[in-house]
Order: sequence, then C-alpha cells, then structure tokens
Amino acid sequence: MAKFCYTALVTALATATFGFAEAPPSRIDLSKFPATRLDDVVVPVPSEVFNVLDKLGTPNWKGELRPPDIKKRGARAQIALLLGSVIAEGFVAVEAADKERVKEIGREVLELARGIGVEKTVLSRTNAILTRADENNWVGVRRELDGALADVKKAMIELKDAQLAHLVSLGGWLRGTEVLTSIVGKSYSADGADLLNQPDLLRYFQQRLVDMSPRIRSNALVGRVQRGLDEISPLLNQKITPASVRRINEITGQIVRAIDTDGHA
Amino acid sequence: MRRFGAVVLASIPLVLASAFATVDDAISRALEAIDPYVKEGYVVRDDQWGGDLGLKEQKAFPHTLFKGNDYWFCMGTDVDNARIAIHVYDSRGKLVEKTSWQKGRFAAAEVIAPATGTYYIVAEVNSSPQERTSWAMVYAYK
Repeated sequence: MAKFCYTALVTALATATFGFAEAPPSRIDLSKFPATRLDDVVVPVPSEVFNVLDKLGTPNWKGELRPPDIKKRGARAQIALLLGSVIAEGFVAVEAADKERVKEIGREVLELARGIGVEKTVLSRTNAILTRADENNWVGVRRELDGALADVKKAMIELKDAQLAHLVSLGGWLRGTEVLTSIVGKSYSADGADLLNQPDLLRYFQQRLVDMSPRIRSNALVGRVQRGLDEISPLLNQKITPASVRRINEITGQIVRAIDTDGHA
Repeated sequence: MRRFGAVVLASIPLVLASAFATVDDAISRALEAIDPYVKEGYVVRDDQWGGDLGLKEQKAFPHTLFKGNDYWFCMGTDVDNARIAIHVYDSRGKLVEKTSWQKGRFAAAEVIAPATGTYYIVAEVNSSPQERTSWAMVYAYK
C-alpha cells in the first residue's frame, strides 16, 4: 500500500511538474514503420521473465537446476551459446537461492568469457556476483548477471563479432525457455503459458541465424540450433496448450544439451 | 536507431568527440527522467537505445513485454528547447500505455503489459531548434 501511494505520488508530481503529453493518437498505423530494422528489436533480459515468474508462485527451483558441466569446449560459436545458457542458469540458481551454485556460475561465466577473449570485460561483474551471493543479495546477483550479459555482448560487438553476441542472447533465451516451459508444464495456467507468447522474438533469432556468415552457419551446432528454432516456431504461433508447452520443453532441452556437449548429445 | 553501447563504440571515429558528448548527454537526460522510478523500486536495464530524428519524425522499435511486469520507458535529449515524446502501442497499433508525460527534453510512458507479446515503443521529436535531434531511451521494470 505504501509503495502504491509512493508510485501515485511520483506520477502525480511528474504530471504536475511536467504536464501531460499532447494526447497521443489512440491508434497508429504500424505499416508506417515497415523498415523496422533487426537492430531495432529489443531483446528482453532474462530478469524480465524471472521477475514475472516470481509473481506466479513458488516452483521447485532447485529441481530446475542443472549439474555444472562446461568441460566440453568447441568453436567460439559453441562457447557463445554456452555462455548465454550459463548466465540464464545463474537466474535459476538465484531463484533457488543456491549460493554455492551461483558462485560456481560466476566462475563459469568468467572461464567461458576467457574462451572468447572478453574475460576482462566481465571480471568486475563476476567478482560482484560472488560478493552479492555471499551477502545473499539476490536482487544484486540478478543485476550483475544481466550486466554480465550486456557487457559480454557489447565487448563482442566492439571486437566486430556481433554474430557471437547474438548467439549469447540466443543461448540465454533457449535455456530460459527450457526452464519456463518446465515450470509452466508442471503447473499449467493460462498466465504462465502466456509468457511463451514470443513469436516475434523467435522470428528475430531465426533471422539473426539466417543472416550469419556461411562460416558460422556451417557449424554443426548452429545448424542444430537453427533446426530446433524451426521446430518451435509453429508451436509459438498458435494457442499455447499443455501439449505445446511440453513439446517446446523437449526441443529446448535437447538443444541446451547439444550446446553443453558441442553437438555430441 | 542505434544501440549506443554497441554501435556507437564500434562505428563512430574517436575524432568525433563532440558526437560522443551529445550521445552521453542524451543518455544522461534519459537516466535523469527514469531516476524517480528507480527510487520506487523499478530495475533499470543497463542498456540504452537512441539515435537522431528530424522534426515530427517517429521511430518505432518492437519489444516483447511480459504480462505481469510494469514498465517505464523514459526518453531524453540534449537539445535545449526540444520537445520529445514516447508512447507504447500493441501489435495492432492500439495505444496501451497507462500514463505518459513530457516536458521538453524529457518524456516517459508507463505500460503494464495486458498480455505477453510484441509492443511498439514509438519515439518522436515534436519540436526542436535543430534539424536533427539526438535522443536516448532507457527503460525499467518491476
């Protein structure tokens, strides 16, 4: 209640101070923006999804955690996908309030970042993850995980390796979607299933893969990921049912395992 | 539109120091606009979007918003006497924001996503003394 009052006060003050905007049109013609570029698409950070999951109840997060296994290293594409997946795992560990696993993940992130030459970029983040975990500051850990994801992607773009940056995002999305479908599948609700209504985001990832260089696209693991996304696509473009949730969970689970083992799952 | 953290560092020569200042200033304005909501417990995403727009020109970018989250999108510009606006529409082009405000170099819109899906964040320069007006957008959620 106090929070609500504060929000109302802030909004009222903003309104009083700044004044309402000129009334915007209640409807716009989106075809006026036909050239929206792929770069304009905003990919949500994992904590936006986990923030909603927090409100949906208290699933068995410990049961969703995977055992740590990042020993199998392949090409940079695999490391990028794995890095995204491990960062998403960090969010699961936070939900499970598993301090030791969070700290392990912090170290794994650093190791994987070293594998693609962006170790220095995430060093302060990974140190902060360990510190926040020791303090049981779970909100702080989430923030550092989001930050690590953003920093790694920025560093890769600076290194003219934007393609790998997209693979990091995709790895995170795949592991996040696997967890999301697992939780929603165990206790199906319309609100939970609604979180999977992300067909445009999936299309974005598919297009990103299509646009990658032939060298990356010829990577067997990337091809495996691409086929998996193509399988998920029709399921996300229709009403989400308990059966489709299960199927998406199977597909994403298989892809995540393939990423873990560099395609040898 | 550009993601400043990524594209600017990658593509703009360092000699354009003043351009960096403009970008930094626009981001600072956007962060200034979102600050009251941070104090309210909203989590700001550590990323910025932006670019430059001509007068009355609009820029839309799609974003998957999640039902159950409450979002504030805040926009800022470094151009004195400019008037900018930001609004949120759903995938059918219907205005869905709960509220919005603007004052010169600052503008913001709040949306509580009624359903998970794609929404369009539309940024606009309503008036400006300059031909092109640089701007930045940040957002926060809880």
